[in-house]
Amino acid sequence: MILLTMIARVADGLPLAASMQEDEQSGRDLQHYQSQAKQLCRKLNAQSPNRCTLEAGVMSFHYVIEHGVCYLALCEAVFPKKLVFGYLEVLQTEFNEQHGKKVPTVSRPYSFIEFDVYIQKTKKNYIDSRARRNLGSINTELQDVQRIMVANIEEVLQRGEALSALDTKASDLSSLSKKYRSDAKYLNTRSIYAKIAAGAVFFITLIVYMRFWWI
Amino acid sequence: MSNTDFSSQNGAGGPPYANGPSQNPVALQPPGPGYMAHQTPYNPMQAKGPMPPGPGLYNSGPYQPIPPVSSNQALPGQPMLKRPPMGPQHSMTPPQSASPNPGSRIPPAHATPPPVSANNYQHAPAWQYGGTPPMGAPPSMGAPPPMAMPPLRPVGNHMTSSPSLATPQASSAEYRATPPVFHNAMQPLGPPTSLQGYTQQGSAPLLMNPMAAPHSYQPVMRAPYGGPPPSVRPTPPTTGPPMGNASPPLGPKTDAGPLPPQQPGPPTRHMGLSYPSLPPGYQNTSAPPNAATMQHPVQPSTQPYSHPPPYQQLSAGPAQLSPSLSGLSLQSQTPEALRVVNLLQERNLLPLGPVTPPTPCLPQDLQKINCHPEVFRSTLTSIPQTQSLLNKAKLPLGLLLHPFKDLSQLPVVTSSTIVRCRSCRTYINPFVTFLDQRRWKCNLCYRVNDVPEEFMYNPVSRSYGEPHKRPEVQNATLEFIAPSEYMLRPPQPAVYLIVLDVSHNAVETGYLDVVCQSLLENINALPGDSRTKIGFITFDSTIHFYNLQEGLSQPQMLIVSDIEDIFLPTPDSLLVNLNECKELVQDLLRSLPQMFGKTMETQCALGPALQAAFKLLSATGGRVSVFQTQLPSLGVGALKSREDPNQRASAKDIQHLSPATDFYKKLALDCSGQQVAVDLFLLSSQYCDLASLGCISRYSAGSVYYYPSYHQQHNPAGVECFQKDLKRYLTRKIGFEAVMRIRCSKGLSIHTFHGNFFVRSTDLLSLPNVNPDAGFAVQMSIEENLVDMQSVSFQAALLYTSSKGERRIRVHTMCLPVVNSLSDIFAGADVQAITCLLASMAVDRSVTASLSDARDAMTNASIDSLTSFRTSVLTIQQPGLLAPACLRLFPLYILALLKQKAFRTGTSTRLDDRVFAMCQLKYQPLAYVMLMIHPALYRVDDLTDEGALNVSERTIPQPRVQQLSVEKLSRDGAFLMDAGSVIYLWIGRNCNPNFLTQVLGLPNYAAVPLNMNMLPELDTAESQRTRAFVGWLREQRPFFPILHVIRDESPLKASFLQNMIEDRTESALSYYEFLLHIQQQVSK
Repeated sequence: MILLTMIARVADGLPLAASMQEDEQSGRDLQHYQSQAKQLCRKLNAQSPNRCTLEAGVMSFHYVIEHGVCYLALCEAVFPKKLVFGYLEVLQTEFNEQHGKKVPTVSRPYSFIEFDVYIQKTKKNYIDSRARRNLGSINTELQDVQRIMVANIEEVLQRGEALSALDTKASDLSSLSKKYRSDAKYLNTRSIYAKIAAGAVFFITLIVYMRFWWI
Repeated sequence: MSNTDFSSQNGAGGPPYANGPSQNPVALQPPGPGYMAHQTPYNPMQAKGPMPPGPGLYNSGPYQPIPPVSSNQALPGQPMLKRPPMGPQHSMTPPQSASPNPGSRIPPAHATPPPVSANNYQHAPAWQYGGTPPMGAPPSMGAPPPMAMPPLRPVGNHMTSSPSLATPQASSAEYRATPPVFHNAMQPLGPPTSLQGYTQQGSAPLLMNPMAAPHSYQPVMRAPYGGPPPSVRPTPPTTGPPMGNASPPLGPKTDAGPLPPQQPGPPTRHMGLSYPSLPPGYQNTSAPPNAATMQHPVQPSTQPYSHPPPYQQLSAGPAQLSPSLSGLSLQSQTPEALRVVNLLQERNLLPLGPVTPPTPCLPQDLQKINCHPEVFRSTLTSIPQTQSLLNKAKLPLGLLLHPFKDLSQLPVVTSSTIVRCRSCRTYINPFVTFLDQRRWKCNLCYRVNDVPEEFMYNPVSRSYGEPHKRPEVQNATLEFIAPSEYMLRPPQPAVYLIVLDVSHNAVETGYLDVVCQSLLENINALPGDSRTKIGFITFDSTIHFYNLQEGLSQPQMLIVSDIEDIFLPTPDSLLVNLNECKELVQDLLRSLPQMFGKTMETQCALGPALQAAFKLLSATGGRVSVFQTQLPSLGVGALKSREDPNQRASAKDIQHLSPATDFYKKLALDCSGQQVAVDLFLLSSQYCDLASLGCISRYSAGSVYYYPSYHQQHNPAGVECFQKDLKRYLTRKIGFEAVMRIRCSKGLSIHTFHGNFFVRSTDLLSLPNVNPDAGFAVQMSIEENLVDMQSVSFQAALLYTSSKGERRIRVHTMCLPVVNSLSDIFAGADVQAITCLLASMAVDRSVTASLSDARDAMTNASIDSLTSFRTSVLTIQQPGLLAPACLRLFPLYILALLKQKAFRTGTSTRLDDRVFAMCQLKYQPLAYVMLMIHPALYRVDDLTDEGALNVSERTIPQPRVQQLSVEKLSRDGAFLMDAGSVIYLWIGRNCNPNFLTQVLGLPNYAAVPLNMNMLPELDTAESQRTRAFVGWLREQRPFFPILHVIRDESPLKASFLQNMIEDRTESALSYYEFLLHIQQQVSK
């Protein structure tokens, strides 16, 4: 079951089109996944792998990046991967044909929301188990699906945070070590002064002693 | 003299100037040399000035008195500056500053350097006016004049030695604002010339002659406006060079044109150098700087005269002024709004044309960009400073909104970041203050915010560094395209679900034909895009769904007879894409009226049908249109008749105004949560318990339409009306999944909302659908004293998804002055808005308490406010019932409300009619409510083209509005009564035969049919005029008023006569008796 489909521009994460199926029977709240999908689109960049599956508990995100546009789908983890990527490929071809040239110029979110109509129709084909049989050809074409990278959504979303945490820790460390260094210096100086003072006291006592007892 | 001058100034009108100017001219002529001399003459003026200023202001406009205040308001910055003490000094300073300022207008941005003296000074004065009411300028009044004089002299010096002048001032003032830099800049420019130039620029070329006029103008302008340069601008033109001074300050705008010779240089400089940050638009915020600049220019050239007076006025300080004004107003210079009217003697109170809303006393530049009164209106256009003052005035404080009104011109802004205040989330608007180029101060919570980098670029002029020229800061009404942060989910498609009653009773009325026909005709005009979805449900004792899936040869009907536990027979295909399944939908619409032709099912399960509709739409949200013709009798939500027809007229109090069950309210709240709105069309000849059914629309932000006695054959007028309304309903603009929030300045709080919506959090209105015909009202209280504020602002922001799937935010901002005297409050009262707000409050009261309570409350409202006016504002007690001119219609409107269907007693009124009238009072925008309350009566048998309007090449005669009294009807005439949703054309028994033949196409009076609803299209001038007039009246509202031609024997004559509000009926007082009653209470 494909629950959510989103098409976004990779450069700035601007959503271009989306289709959301609120599923009454399951009563699942998609709001959480919806915001994860938005975050994900913002995190993606030119360096991201072109095809990837991200696990998010009982659900999985699958995405394809082509021509600077990300096609993202959310479905249950048990839903066949081949089908999802076949579905995303079809969307990609059609979207690129219809709107590909306009993608870099738009600034309004969901500028191509009307593409939703096509998404819904395609989705119906892929979800419907009777129609699925007709898609056998697609299954064979997508042999390489097995090699698609799998990662965890939390990791991807938090990768940036972990780096920044590391950064903070490192800077904490360096400031702490600086403090340690200055503290050590200070202590050294103090101990030298203490030694000098002790020596001076000893000599003075010695001189006094010599003076009164030797003379 | 002084008074007159002032008034003229306030008015800004040319003529008034004469007084001032005449003197001035003489003085002016000598200008260069004789400043001093002039000054002396002026001083007297000034001395007088203090008193006059107030009155003068009033004189000019009804509200003008306020202007000073308003100026203050305009300058949000003022509070920050806290200039009050400055006041006296200011007056002094202006002259000095004048010379420097021209150059230094820039300073506003700089703000800091005291040396700038000139600029600073001016600023300060401005502030005083606006913001320093507390100052109690009066002392300054005396002093300032002299002060002013000195400065004038210096002016000459200024050019060369502005610094010196500046220093003294600097010391006195806290003028941090002016940077020394300015001086330098200015000087290079050619100080003397520059100054003049500035002034001239402002005033412009023509002004030279006006020398005299200028004087007056400048003072006036400045005084009232305080901060706002714009106002100044206007004046300058009139004045000569001296005037110019005044004008120059106005700023860049003024500068541009006028200055002939030298000026160009200076102005340009201003523009480019100093001002960038303080563009006119910003003036509001930056008012202080502007003011300073303004003054400066003036000073140089001149005309000390003009300057001093303004200052004096200003110095008086808002606070002091207003009291003094109030006193004055009564004595001689009462503003038009406060002119005392003895209602018992003056019979003819109706204005010739429509009643116009009062104009807030704001500086002209602010008022010019203020929100249009049809969209945003306050009951008091001058906000009282404290709650106790408001309590004393006994007038309700509230706002009336028409936020989604169809607008012919609406600026739309697309921007990746929408600039909002970081603490209160207010959208940036024309009334914020720019402290400098990179910071702005919120006009609602006064927080200082940064201007984001993108905002520095102006997409309209394609220039950088002028944030004040951005459309956001130039328009009080505009729309943003929202970025994706404003969306919780992808924008929903337009989804329409039609729910039809097909029981025997419904089929009998024949409404199905009309609905299906109308849908067929308008199916391509439904707002939407390629995603638009549509679905149908019909119901009698069972619920019928229609499968319209693509590929079916004909629509498939699915019947669910289990109405106890409703379910959807198939998960999809009940709501289908309109574009793809249009054929099937059209098929269904064509066959639907016949499908139930022979039904014998009389029961009707509305509740389960609504539940099914909710289930169908809950995934997407959208609009449900329910057509219902009888009392629901099956399943949940079944109702019983609660009305006893015999009690209609005799009952002491009206029962059953509240819902009988909370089922509809609960369901409406569920709908609201899923972004579903339910619109109810009630076509019925019997009692349907609208009080209960109406809840479904009320809480889901839908609308209610009611067609009593609807029948295809027996009521053709009703059918036509239904057809036209349906057309409008189907094709009008619509916004989905909307929320609206109304914010107001700190110190004010909104506590009650009226209209159709659900209040989600304390101030967030949830509107699953918003339509252009919906009005809203809110009541406010003053929680903290507004002592330091010159003005307060209100902002309504409506976030919605358009039918094209765009998320948009429509923002309206209104700015109003704050006043501290009762007379100013009364002068700013908006009688129509007050009446409408009272009507909404009375509706609530009659539901929660009782109808008689509500009636008493309305009567008391008029008594209390007139009592308050009599005891607190009037100084001379005269006999009679006295009211300020602006409230002269108040008792009439209250009486009209008491006789309105919603509130009348003693006359037989069907409960549903009454409840529907109540719904309309709460839900309709002000303009239509006013017609419902107080219809307009015109004599139409003698229409002429005199004074006619020309609208798109049609000539529309404008007859005079008559009083609603039978004595105004004459038997030899024909009268048209426009009551909003219905228009009556009454033909007198001896009506001019010419009218009968030329307009009605009838040979004589006896031939007038008893039910005639059309004007024949005759090729005569009279017929064309009459039809043009009726057509014009109809065009002005979104619904279709039926025209009834009536004569003495017509059955509708009674309802026509019931609208004759000023006459006595067996159960209600005549207008004169009502006035006597009020007078008795008032003079107690």
